[in-house]
Amino acid sequence: MPATVADLVTRALAAFDALAGTAEPVSDELQYVADLGTVWGARLRAIAVARGPDAAPPGAEDALDALEAEVGRITDPHRAIDWLSTLPQVALAALGEAA
Amino acid sequence: MRFGEARPDGRAVVYAHIQADPLVARAAALLAGATATQRLLARAAMNGESPEPATWRAMFPTLFGPAAPAPGDSGRDRSEAILVASLDVAGRGEQARSQFRGAIVEAVTELLLAERTAPVRRERRILFDGRPAEIHPYDVTVEREGAAEAWDCKWGARGIKADVIHQLDDARRGAAAEGTKLVVGLVVFDARRSCEVRLVRERGPVALEGLKLIALEGLDRLAGRRPA
Repeated sequence: MPATVADLVTRALAAFDALAGTAEPVSDELQYVADLGTVWGARLRAIAVARGPDAAPPGAEDALDALEAEVGRITDPHRAIDWLSTLPQVALAALGEAA
Repeated sequence: MRFGEARPDGRAVVYAHIQADPLVARAAALLAGATATQRLLARAAMNGESPEPATWRAMFPTLFGPAAPAPGDSGRDRSEAILVASLDVAGRGEQARSQFRGAIVEAVTELLLAERTAPVRRERRILFDGRPAEIHPYDVTVEREGAAEAWDCKWGARGIKADVIHQLDDARRGAAAEGTKLVVGLVVFDARRSCEVRLVRERGPVALEGLKLIALEGLDRLAGRRPA
């Protein structure tokens, strides 16, 4: 059964949370990390509300596989902070949405 | 108000070698004519961990997937060239790639501004009579009489800091005090959404109305173009 948009948004949000955990040691950026979680989480959840049951676009599931694998490689907390902004943009692009 | 050369220091000497690397000019030329998604590919791959092109092709199905333009199409070829250049940057090592990324954002900014206006200069100070000069030069300036601009360039939203905002705002107010118009702003190779949350936290007493923000999705505005 093909993945839905809601499935992939759920995976993107979980990958975001994993990155936020990697970023945690940078204590002076906790507020920024929280702010990113607020705005990007809202943006991704809005896509799930609008298009959740729709089948994901071609290639989007493979894109999430690759995105999750990349997140798994990131161990540096500063890079994780940078990727907290990059990840939602990449996930949205794979879903055919603007940032 | 007048523009002046930056005072040379040790950092500038080292950074000049990065700026002059052919990889910077190659990446900047590709990114100046890129779409927002191609620029996002560069942002991801330049700061990624995987050196495998297949990883990045899978991550960007709209650029490389079955529904993307076929190889030989100019857009597809640009995507491939951006991926190669981005992985080249990523492969330069942790310290160097950070400097390369910054130099590339500055070079893209220069190219885009030069499509719209002139003269465009790099690493310049702005001087006002009776006021001490700022220590740090502005990354890119437009030194056109009556239509001057000063831009600070950042790889990511996290680079937006209070001191940068204050320096740009000081220059704008200094120009206004002399009856001169100076457009000041930030060019950030990151999503507008991330930049805005950072700006709100870092701005302090600065009114953001006087500060332009050009984010990844809107870089073409520097050239006077609508976003691709």
